[in-house]
Amino acid sequence: MTIAAEFISVSQVFGDFTAVDDIDLAITEGKLTTLLGPSGCGKTTSLRMLAGYSAPSSGTIEIAGVDSTRTPPEKRGLGMVFQSYALFPHLTVAENVGYGLKLRRVPAAERQKTVMETLDLVGLAHLAASKPKKLSGGQQQRVALARAIAIKPKLLLLDEPLSNLDARLRVQMRAEIRRIQAETGLTVVLVTHDQDEALEMSDDMVVMRSGRIMQQGSPQHVFRNPANRFVADFLGYENFVTTADGSLLAVRPEHLDVTAETPAGSTDGLRLEGRIADVAFRGVDLLVTVDAIDASGARVRLISDVRSTGVDSLAVGDSVSVNAAAGRLVALTD
Amino acid sequence: MKVRRPVASALAVAGYIVMIVPIMFVVATAFTGGETLRFPPEGVSLRWFEAALSYEPFLGALVSSLQLALLATVIALLIGVPVTLAIYRGKIPGKGIVEGLFLSPLIVPELVVGLALYQQLMIGLRLDNFPTLLIGHTVLMLPYAVRVTGASLALADPALEEAARGLGASPLRAFFTVTLPLLRPGIFSAGLLSFVTSFNNVPLSLLLQSRDFRTLPVTMLDYVQQSYDPMVAAMATLILAGTIVIAVVAERTVGFAKIFGGINR
Repeated sequence: MTIAAEFISVSQVFGDFTAVDDIDLAITEGKLTTLLGPSGCGKTTSLRMLAGYSAPSSGTIEIAGVDSTRTPPEKRGLGMVFQSYALFPHLTVAENVGYGLKLRRVPAAERQKTVMETLDLVGLAHLAASKPKKLSGGQQQRVALARAIAIKPKLLLLDEPLSNLDARLRVQMRAEIRRIQAETGLTVVLVTHDQDEALEMSDDMVVMRSGRIMQQGSPQHVFRNPANRFVADFLGYENFVTTADGSLLAVRPEHLDVTAETPAGSTDGLRLEGRIADVAFRGVDLLVTVDAIDASGARVRLISDVRSTGVDSLAVGDSVSVNAAAGRLVALTD
Repeated sequence: MKVRRPVASALAVAGYIVMIVPIMFVVATAFTGGETLRFPPEGVSLRWFEAALSYEPFLGALVSSLQLALLATVIALLIGVPVTLAIYRGKIPGKGIVEGLFLSPLIVPELVVGLALYQQLMIGLRLDNFPTLLIGHTVLMLPYAVRVTGASLALADPALEEAARGLGASPLRAFFTVTLPLLRPGIFSAGLLSFVTSFNNVPLSLLLQSRDFRTLPVTMLDYVQQSYDPMVAAMATLILAGTIVIAVVAERTVGFAKIFGGINR
């Protein structure tokens, strides 16, 4: 695995706010890496440092093995798609896509060919002569993508590219970006606050919080083995219980079962007794909130996501048994 | 007809009457066949237009006024546009102070500015009245240059310049291929406003006039003090016509909404 770009002990401090706190991060060539986290976690700042729009306060950024920490953006050869798309309003779609090629002195005929090929790739060849203002949000997004791809960038950087689209289009564009990445073989770095987006699109997922990297790995790995409470919480593990020996366990709501009767036999998994505090009918499933006391003696509020068929008997105030199989329990390190 | 906001509508109509009716009197008297500036005009003729256009002091002053307005506008834009960029995009400390400084000529009474320039430049440095007037007018225009171009710059997405840089443009290249084209309507309207401000200015031009260089409004003022014939009304009508032409051109090329919309936002 070749490393396309690397952050080495990189920090970014604005006044008394540390946006990025001493991170080390390697971006693998040909893969789609997502930087995931809530707003203010440092993901966009990291992307902007990689693109060259802001210089790190300390540390080194290498692109293709070359120290590029102080290289201005125009010399980095990266393609960036902005959250606002930032299409040049005075130029046509084709001129937008050809802008970077023109600066590279690509002859007009060849430029025209590349522009049309790239617009074809995003399915917008028929709008080449339009002005960006005439386009829908989804179309503008594709033009921004085409403009970044046309220069054959070393890396394609996407800053929350789907956040301005409506829900249906967003899901559609996830697959579209994956397809384009597969066809072009580009190394992509995508910034998002949407865990579903990150899980669906990433080859490599980097979860960030308060300027630090909390966990990095494949979506499957991170989803099944969150390293700490923050990552678990962010990825939808809603239940946290402490064991008798003081270690912290996380369980997803859908892996927690609620039964009126305590199941027969012993268990090597989790079993707690509690009382139902709330039942929310969600159609296919049912969200059952149970108040219980865990093995450490602490009060815990558990949320179980059960299939709604056959559990109509659950009601607020009922005493119930809450169970999870041993394989469903995730031990957190901190 | 149902009027939705009676008070506001009445005020608007009153405003139009106050502004337009006196102008209509001037225009009407300009076409008089008589000898005096009087309403209603006696007969209709173009004789006073002919007189105005062949009156040497008016023509000379018109050329002076145009020269001054044009030159001052160009200088004001050459200073104002970079200053605007520095204020809105640059990372300079004390942006507010710099902006305040460039907007201050709007507040300081022109007579004070004029007197100061007269004392310091014409008397103190023995500068000619044309360079002094040029400096004075340029200073008066800077607020328009900064405010109006600033308004259109504030509306532009800063990511546009970053996008250009990312695609391979040097800062200078990004400015000329992206920022400047976006600012063009703003610069055009700033220029237009500056030009009109200079052309119509009386207080500064009055204080800093000389025998050899005098602007048109000052010359007209002078003329009215000495004689009361309709020639001055004819000249005023011609200026009005010129202004209307400029306004129509501005509306056709850029659009008032775009020109003046920026100021309101």
